[in-house]
This record gives sequence, C-alpha cells and structure tokens, in this order.
Amino acid sequence: MIETILQLAANGIMSGAVLAVAAIGFTMMFAVLRFPNFSLAGHMAGGAYAGWIANTMFGLPLPLALLCGFLVAGGIGVASDFIVLRPLRRAAPITLAIASVAISLFIENALRFGFGNDLRSFDLPLARDWVIGWLRLGPQQVQNAGLAIVAMLILFVIFTFTQTGRAMRATADNAGLAAVKGIDTEKITRLVSFLGMGLAGAAGVLLGADTSIEPLLGLKVILSVFAAAVLGGLGSIPGAVLGAFAIGIVEEASQIVVPATYKGAVGFVAILLVLSFRPSGFLGRRQT
Amino acid sequence: MVLIVRDLVAGYGAADEILKGVSLSVGAGEIVSIIGPNGAGKSTCLKVIAGLLAPRRGSVTFKGHEIAGLPARRTAALGLAYVAQENNVFPSLSIQENLAIGGYLNPSTRRRRSDEIMGQFPLLRERRRDAARALSGGQRQTLAVAMALMSEPALLVLDEPSAGLSPVAAETLFETIVAIKAAGVSVLMIEQNALDALAISDRAYILVLGQNRQDGPAADLANDPEIRTIFLGG
Ligand SMILES: Nc1ncnc2c1ncn2[C@@H]1O[C@H](COP(=O)(O)OP(=O)(O)OP(=O)(O)O)[C@@H](O)[C@H]1O
Ligand SMILES: [Mg+2]
Repeated sequence: MIETILQLAANGIMSGAVLAVAAIGFTMMFAVLRFPNFSLAGHMAGGAYAGWIANTMFGLPLPLALLCGFLVAGGIGVASDFIVLRPLRRAAPITLAIASVAISLFIENALRFGFGNDLRSFDLPLARDWVIGWLRLGPQQVQNAGLAIVAMLILFVIFTFTQTGRAMRATADNAGLAAVKGIDTEKITRLVSFLGMGLAGAAGVLLGADTSIEPLLGLKVILSVFAAAVLGGLGSIPGAVLGAFAIGIVEEASQIVVPATYKGAVGFVAILLVLSFRPSGFLGRRQT
Repeated sequence: MVLIVRDLVAGYGAADEILKGVSLSVGAGEIVSIIGPNGAGKSTCLKVIAGLLAPRRGSVTFKGHEIAGLPARRTAALGLAYVAQENNVFPSLSIQENLAIGGYLNPSTRRRRSDEIMGQFPLLRERRRDAARALSGGQRQTLAVAMALMSEPALLVLDEPSAGLSPVAAETLFETIVAIKAAGVSVLMIEQNALDALAISDRAYILVLGQNRQDGPAADLANDPEIRTIFLGG
C-alpha cells in the first residue's frame, strides 16, 4: 500500500510539474487581463503540434522542440489577443471568457483541418524505466518534469530580477498606476499574452512527449489547469504552482479509490470545494 | 511657468460637466495649493493634468508642451509625477520594487536615485524588502511620494497627501514637501487641511463648483477674514 501511494505521489509530482507550466500561464494572464482565458487549451494544442513538427520533421531534440512550441504558441497568443481580445478590452470578463472559448475552437479546428484527428507521437528514444527502491520512474516523465522546472525557474528570474518582470507584476497590481509611472500597459499586455500562451504551448509539448498529441490535447486538461489556478488563488504564480502539484497528486491518488477514467473529476471537485470554502484560494488575496 | 492650465472643461460622462472652465498655473520652484469644498472638482482637475482624463475643452501646457489629452505615461515621460489620493503604491511589490517602478522611465539613474531616496527616508531603507501592503497609512503615503521623486520630476502633483494621516505623520509629510521644493521641484497639491497647506504654499487657488473662486499668495488667503470663515473653519 505504502509503495502504491509513494508511486502515485511521484507520478503526481511529475504530472503536476507539467500542469504547473500551463497553470502559471493561465494565472499570469488572469492577473493582468482579469478574465479566465480558456483559449489556453487551443494554444496548448497549437504549441504541441509546433513542437511535434520540430521534433519529427526537423529532428530537433525535446528541449528545442519545447522552445519551438513556446514560440509558436506565444505568437498565436499575441495574434489572437490582437485580433479578437484587444477590441474587447473594456468588455465584461464573461464576454472575454466566451471569446476565448471561441479562439480555442478556432485553433483546434484549424489543427484538425491541417493534421486530422489522428494521435501523433513524438520521436523520442525509448528507455527502460528507472527503478529506485519500490519506485518506478519513466525517464521521459522525469525529463519532462525537469524541463518544466527549468521553465519555471527562468520565469521566476524574469519576474523577480528584471525591470520588465516587475513592470508585469506592477501592471497586474494596478494598471492605472502603472501607466502613471510610465509603463506602456498595452505593450505589457502583449508580452503577458506571449509568455502566458507560450507557457501553454510548452506544457502542450511536454504533455505530448509524455503520451501523444491530438487537436483536443489542451481541452482535455484545461479543467485541471483552471482548477490548479483557482486552488492557488487566481492571479498568484506561486499559488498556481502549488495548486498544480496538489491537483497532479490528487488526480493520481484518486486512482486508488475510483477508476482512472474519473481522474478528470478531480479538478471539478477541487474548484467546487475552493469556491465553497476559500474563494481566494491558497495564496490569492484579491476577491474577484 | 512650469504648468499653465487654461479654461479647462471636463467631466466623466457625456452630460456631466465637473470642471466648468478652471485656470491655474504653477511657477518654477513654487508650492501651489488647491482648496475647496468636497465635490468641487479638485481631484478631477488633477486627473486631467496627469493625463488620466481627457478634457472636453481648454489647454494644459507643461514646460511648453501642450499635454491636454495625452495619456498618463506620456505626461510622466515629460517629467510630471502624479500621486493619487488612494491606491498609489503597488501592494504586492516590495518597497524596493515600488521605488524601481517609480524610476521606470529613468533606467540609467535608477540605482543612484533609489540609494539617495532611501537615504532621505530611512524607514523605506529599513523595510525595503517588505511588501508595500504591510505599510501603515503614513508610510504608504511617504512611499508614494518617494516613488514620484524617483522619476526626478519637474512638477509633483499630489492629491490630498495627508488624508488619513495622524497629525504627526501629516507634519512630517509637509516637511518633506518643503524639502522637495527646496530641491527645485514645483509642487501642485490639493489639501483638506487648508491652513496647514497654506502655511507651506506660495500661492493657492480656491475652487468651488468646478470654477475658480479666488486665488492669490497663500499668506493673503490665510488672512482673508471671509475666506477664513467660509473655507478654513474660522
Ligand atoms: N470616476 C468618476 N465618475 C463619475 N463621476 C465622478 C468620478 N469621480 C468624481 N466624480 C464626480 O465629480 C465630482 C467632483 O469630484 P472630485 O473628486 O473632482 O471632487 P473633489 O473636489 O476632489 O472632492 P473631495 O474633496 O471630496 O476629494 C463629484 O460630484 C463626483 O461625484
Ligand atoms: Mg478629491
């Protein structure tokens, strides 16, 4: 029993790390743009396909494929923001949320049009599981979690030590005051869309490298991503990381009591519980 | 004159006219106060000057540039530092980071300015790693003014800087404002504590119902019996 729990915890930490990358993207966009951008799902898939093309057609190794997924999804993010969301900047959050669902549908269908519905796999070296004591770890999952953690560290450095990172946090705190201090908040918004959707794309590549990719890859995990962000407190980056690990572990652990197909319900239950008992999440401060 | 405001007409909705033709000016190295009853349009006037609200008519000239209708970040880039009455610091950023954002437009002098300012306000140095939300009202107000000074402005525009402060904290803040003037920065401020404000001001304007009511040297206004009874509480 204890072995099973440890194994599930280890799996949960590894899937939580990947989830965290997407959840950071989700929560940082929420902090600045103040609405839940569900088009993250479509951008995850878009990034996954970009990474897959880089990997299978150009033979790039996973870290470089990850970078491609990041850049392409970030680019799509800036474009979709510019074309669809910018004209709606002053609209109510619900309007923006619905528009973001439409963006996601558009990207998913464009992918379906281009690549069909088939499951695709990355071209990665097969390796035998590592066995440490009772633990059995897939080298690919470990590498994915490592890449996710590297991405998070880079982001941490940007947010904490660069003036642009501070400007992003300042804009999230109070956009009007940021403008008074000379920050071009529209430019910051673009940058946040790029980084946020880029992270979604990177997470898409990592998910795809773990299993396989398809146009609905993002849609299948968006509830978990949203749950992680809500659990941590919408708008809080450390919160999103904590939330993602919590969701990842609980999703894995849930398999002890319910069949694996119910894993998806974990995010749903987590959202319900947070909204009922602590709407601001673990680390959230704002009530929105 | 650093700032010249002429016949400003402005409001928030399409129909409301909060400012009905306000004019004022601030000379180099002057402290100028705006006083008047609640709802007179004082804050609205400063928002127009800072670029947060576009006027319907009238002009705002800052250092020779016409700035009426320019967005806030552009007026900031010209050297105008505006401090709102509330929400004037970034609560989740540390004090050090708030100062860094205050100097956002002057990256080359930021580090030096930050050191100077923390020397001038030892409290900010002591608590530089704390989040701004942890500060008391007076400390927050000090930080807001310090952030404005980070940009080495030509004109500091303050909306009720002493609101909500204890008398001691307010006095410290007024001393700071006098020191800022001594360093060559012009100051335009709104004050509820009209007598205290007049005591440190060179000139003042009295605004009533969106219009100029009276203006002149601060000492004259402070001694005018009519003004004392109506606006200064005896
Ligand atoms: N954002 C806004 N939207 C609509 N009306 C506003 C807004 N801000 C202020 N007003 C209105 O404009 C009028 C003038 O407000 P303003 O804040 O300029 O007055 P004030 O002289 O600064 O008053 P106080 O001494 O209370 O600060 C008031 O009637 C107020 O209700
Ligand atoms: Mg006011």
